Amino acid sequence: MKIVIVGNSTAAVNAVEAIRERDKISSITVVSDESYRAYSHPLLPNLVIGEVSRAEERFYYRKADFYESHKVKTVLGRKVVKLYPEEKVVELDNGDKLEYDKLLLACGGTPIKPPIEGLELEGVHTLTNIKAADKLRKDLKNIKQCVVVGAGLIGSKIAEKLAKKGVKVTLVELTKRVLFPVLDDTGADYIHKELKRLGVTLVLNDAVSALSGDKRVKQVILKSGKKIETDGVIVAVGVAPNAGLAKDAGLTVDRGVVVNDFMQTSNDNVFAAGDVAQAYDMVSGVKRPIPILPLAARQGRIAALNMLGMDVKYKGGFAMNSISIGKVSFISMGIVDSDELEVLSIKRGDEYRKFLIDPDNRLKGMILVNNVEKAGMFNWMIQNRFDVSWIKDTFLNSDFGWKYFNKAFRVLRLDRKIK
Amino acid sequence: MKIVKIKEDNCIFCHLCEVACVVEHSQSKDIIKAFKREERPIARCTVEFNYPISLSVMCRHCDDAPCIEACQNGSMHRDERGYVVVNEETCVGCWMCIMACPYGVIKRDTRREVWGLSTKCDACPERDIPACVDACPNEALIYEEL
Repeated sequence: MKIVIVGNSTAAVNAVEAIRERDKISSITVVSDESYRAYSHPLLPNLVIGEVSRAEERFYYRKADFYESHKVKTVLGRKVVKLYPEEKVVELDNGDKLEYDKLLLACGGTPIKPPIEGLELEGVHTLTNIKAADKLRKDLKNIKQCVVVGAGLIGSKIAEKLAKKGVKVTLVELTKRVLFPVLDDTGADYIHKELKRLGVTLVLNDAVSALSGDKRVKQVILKSGKKIETDGVIVAVGVAPNAGLAKDAGLTVDRGVVVNDFMQTSNDNVFAAGDVAQAYDMVSGVKRPIPILPLAARQGRIAALNMLGMDVKYKGGFAMNSISIGKVSFISMGIVDSDELEVLSIKRGDEYRKFLIDPDNRLKGMILVNNVEKAGMFNWMIQNRFDVSWIKDTFLNSDFGWKYFNKAFRVLRLDRKIK
Repeated sequence: MKIVKIKEDNCIFCHLCEVACVVEHSQSKDIIKAFKREERPIARCTVEFNYPISLSVMCRHCDDAPCIEACQNGSMHRDERGYVVVNEETCVGCWMCIMACPYGVIKRDTRREVWGLSTKCDACPERDIPACVDACPNEALIYEEL
């Protein structure tokens, strides 16, 4: 069988591993417009300020011999420009054509361009791949003050890193708090304090309307009318799935490439996984793109197994994030703010715990600030729709752990008799 | 594959498993030096107590380990023996493994200069029987096939 994978990051790599665990014979070709081996995207802000370099092994997702040891043919630095699902062929930007029996779209996302005038000016950056990170890193010598647009994961992280480097950073966010979808007001307050302590100026409830300057950006004009002098801008308002290829080929595309429970697109031979895919969110009950690394890994693996004809179902995922800004670390997952769900929460100095539970006593989401080490146990409860009625009283205890579970259940779980 | 099995009925809350784990993962493997002179390692097992029960909990070495899946740079991996271990050289302390671990048994070591370090049971690669099992006076931890 001929397998072609478009993309070369988390979903693609996990797909390759899953295929090779079972099938040593099929040919696998990985096509990517980036010319490097798979690397760790979350480390891009660290790469910008030089905390990690491309010479270090920790920057990469897998070892250098990964492609060779997994017998993968790589076509790097080439973009797939067209997909012909009827002929089962993809066309590259140099005119080459690749035939496939099964195709995996794992081509990720691209940074969203907000409607702002002046994005073409020098000194305006994004930060979602090595190329963008390198460009920003080389430009750092010209940046004494910087405006970061969007306080999402990338925006908050690069604001923190640049501030540590001594850059005067202003972080502009449209909503009333940083990391809006993954924290509530109380949780975000920890991050606000930490960013301020690091010297970041926070501008909330405001947006950038225009960038001005002759050749290089000099000034940022906000919707509120406020003007900020700057010599660099980083636009980090989110990523959108790279669904164009699938859309042009007539596959079902909504915000991302829509997949069924087997990570299969509307074409039987084409699968999608990772940031490009729109798969089932088991907490919200709808299909939506959730661009996070652990789900890309799982989806890539499941897509691969189904490409081999194995019938493995994707149970669904949900948003989850583990983020550290300065001295504050938090992990949150699922729904983090709601008026309808039962909310248990407690704030004790540095620690904040919050749990959201539905009327059927199923955990739907949670936030842990600073005391995060048991986070995965709650992840398990959400995934398995675990009845928490008899244990939720203990969720707010800082020493939450196995000791609070019912004995029979605890013994079975710890003996790995219940998954 | 053998893992450390937990027999909570036998646990007497003595914490010797934690002590043995600290010593085993120390530089000198000497109890006095490990506790008093060197930088003390974090125990990979944790003894929990909630009267009348107590038990020591550590990594279950899952077959489909979610921590490996969640790791951002392959630091969390399966070694030649089949156990789930961290590559200390490359771990960046993003705690995504902690977010994924269904047993809550990965700990944070934040003492390194730049990068945090996820710390977990490695089933004592230099020993035939893990240190915690060896140290347990009451067979509350036993090393057995699953």
